Amino acid sequence: MRRIYLITYDVCDAKRLRQIFKCLRGWGDHLQYSVFECQLTDADLLRCKAQMADILHHGEDQALVIDLGPAASRSETLVQAIGKPYSAMAAPCFVV
Amino acid sequence: MIQPIDDADSIDPSADQDPEELLPARMINELVYCPRLFYLMHVEGQFAESIDTIGGTILHRRVDNGTGGLAPAEPCATQSFIPSSDEEPVVAAPEPTKPKKRPKSKHLQPATLFGDDENTEPGNDQTDPDNTMPDAETESDDDTNDPPRTIHARTIHARTIHARTIHARSVTLSSESLGVIAKLDLAEASGNVVTPVDYKRGRPKRMADGTLAAWDPERVQIALQVLVLRDNGYQSDEGVLYFNETRQRVRVPVDDELLALTRSSIAAARRHRESGQIPPPLISSPKCPRCSLVGICLPEETRRLATAGQPIPQVRPLVTARDERRPAYFSTQGMWIGKQGDLLQAKVEGKVVQEIRMNDINQINLFGNIQLSTQTIQTALGRDVPIGYFTQKGYFYGVSGGLGVKNILVRRQQFRLADDREFCLDIARALVHGKIRNQRTLLMRNHREPDATSLRDLKRYANRALKAESLASLLGIEGIAARVYFGDFAGMLKVDCGVSTGGEGFATAEKQPAFQFRSRNRRPPRDPVNAMLSLAYSLLTKDCLVAATMVGLDPHLGFYHQVKPGKPALALDLMEPFRPLIAESVVLSAINTKMVTPDHFICAGKSVVMSDTGRKHFLLAYEKRMDSLVTHPLFDYRVSYRRLLEIQTRLLARRLSGEIEDYPVFQTR
Repeated sequence: MRRIYLITYDVCDAKRLRQIFKCLRGWGDHLQYSVFECQLTDADLLRCKAQMADILHHGEDQALVIDLGPAASRSETLVQAIGKPYSAMAAPCFVV
Repeated sequence: MIQPIDDADSIDPSADQDPEELLPARMINELVYCPRLFYLMHVEGQFAESIDTIGGTILHRRVDNGTGGLAPAEPCATQSFIPSSDEEPVVAAPEPTKPKKRPKSKHLQPATLFGDDENTEPGNDQTDPDNTMPDAETESDDDTNDPPRTIHARTIHARTIHARTIHARSVTLSSESLGVIAKLDLAEASGNVVTPVDYKRGRPKRMADGTLAAWDPERVQIALQVLVLRDNGYQSDEGVLYFNETRQRVRVPVDDELLALTRSSIAAARRHRESGQIPPPLISSPKCPRCSLVGICLPEETRRLATAGQPIPQVRPLVTARDERRPAYFSTQGMWIGKQGDLLQAKVEGKVVQEIRMNDINQINLFGNIQLSTQTIQTALGRDVPIGYFTQKGYFYGVSGGLGVKNILVRRQQFRLADDREFCLDIARALVHGKIRNQRTLLMRNHREPDATSLRDLKRYANRALKAESLASLLGIEGIAARVYFGDFAGMLKVDCGVSTGGEGFATAEKQPAFQFRSRNRRPPRDPVNAMLSLAYSLLTKDCLVAATMVGLDPHLGFYHQVKPGKPALALDLMEPFRPLIAESVVLSAINTKMVTPDHFICAGKSVVMSDTGRKHFLLAYEKRMDSLVTHPLFDYRVSYRRLLEIQTRLLARRLSGEIEDYPVFQTR
């Protein structure tokens, strides 16, 4: 089952910043600067964290992984936006 | 702690070079855990990932980076050093990872994350293990092989050995006499005494008195490593299991009892490999839920079907209900799909119109002229994401898959049994019976006023299918039943027929009902309902073909449908009972919920095709159906239709291997 995670990071080095941004684009939606919303299974989370751990400097950088609960039963008010609208979409497939 | 396959990536490719002779030590570990798991992984070559295997892979990242070198044993020993797969010279081997890459050593990995850094590992805090290779020579020179010295060495362990212990990572050694090849995560050499250290991701077993212990599979694996080391001329009496989660070491002394268990396990592995018979599943074992291959093994489902006399009361839902990933469909003509990092980028005229994460998809489907970059194809195939090709209108060309055949044994069995007329007829009868029953169920559920005669007829034909004498008469029965069924099909369309939607659709032009259906026609379909049915069958064929390929069956050799070049006969076989349940039901719901309206169709001469928008809506409806949960009548758990296709295909494979007596065709109640 997927859960929603908010992943935020504070990276001191421009190169690592780009790397971590690129890495997280593979796992979730870019909400704001340094903030991603990711819907991950347990296995995904493990992989994602491992990828980040390889990039981050463990003495200087920090990433936070915040668990927002199961994706299936997410409530409408889980994330409330002030200003530009925020919406979560769910479809059984991607059609382009 | 159950961790069936915690370092799956350590199956060295070189281990496969001589499958007749060498068994990987890892596989013996699996055998002790569960013989069936050993068979599925080592004999059939199947594998699946789970959170445990992924955790194991991550844990082994650094261990597997090792040079694979270990100083040769004492000159007096007869066997010489066996080079690792990368064949690097041993003695002068520099540590390749640290100087070249971005200096990882400063990135200390805290224990809370993925700490496999040896700096905090108990037992070698004073040594830099990466610089110790040259010491190997001097160490072994002054260290003559007398057993008392080993004991002495232990007594002064704390003071001197730390500085003298030599570490080698990822050492592959084999033993001809045992017929075993082992990959040592870490070998700690002190003189000629080598202690293998195996990395495990979980926590150690705890005995009743609180002492730490190891499970049998792990102990046997250590024993094999010790034996292989001995065979290569090293002295080795015990191994160590290093548990990453708790960062604890557990010593595994190799005693006679363990040696006996190890030898009998090797013998059992040989026996299973040569028998060609899959061992029965474990009985209600606590090991099954965490086993990564449980979806392939289907332990309880197989047992329920195999022991018809006394079925197990409750089948535990061990298979996850849904695949968490979703299919992607691309139908905009002239689109170009490339990959950037882990993102798929769909571009139209150079502009990115959509980005989709590779991690989120389990299929790529292309309708018409859409370009896919080689990099995307490679990534997709590498991740076992099949790519389906259709024409713009939805005619199904085929599927690109990876290397495919994972389980050649079942495919061989498929070819053998396809020549067996009785067997083919048996399967075919069940399939046609199931299909007619499902058609009948659909009528009963969805028809406004189901016709009693039709229902009775369908029931009669279904029963007659079970007694059919030949494939030809089955074909006849299927045909008659289809005529009855499609004769009543229009009664399931519940859209208010009189309302004109004002579009330029086919039907409204003549002030006819929005959707009407007289009979099934195709090539080309001549009304909107037939157009949708054709597209739905096309999509379902694709999904059945993917399921068949995934299980390792040849999609082109069927039992009911006869061989015809380019015809995916087995996929069509598998699909029969699902036609009403998935394809026709999607068409009905798409019409009845007005996801698709008459505006979505374009008339071209006598044929009718869907517009691009209509197709997109229909694809959504189809996937919604595939994603919806249905209760399996035999196992009483709920799974999605997509998962159900896979389960049914795996059961067919079990039928082919002779493990179960009857193929249970899926029928809704």
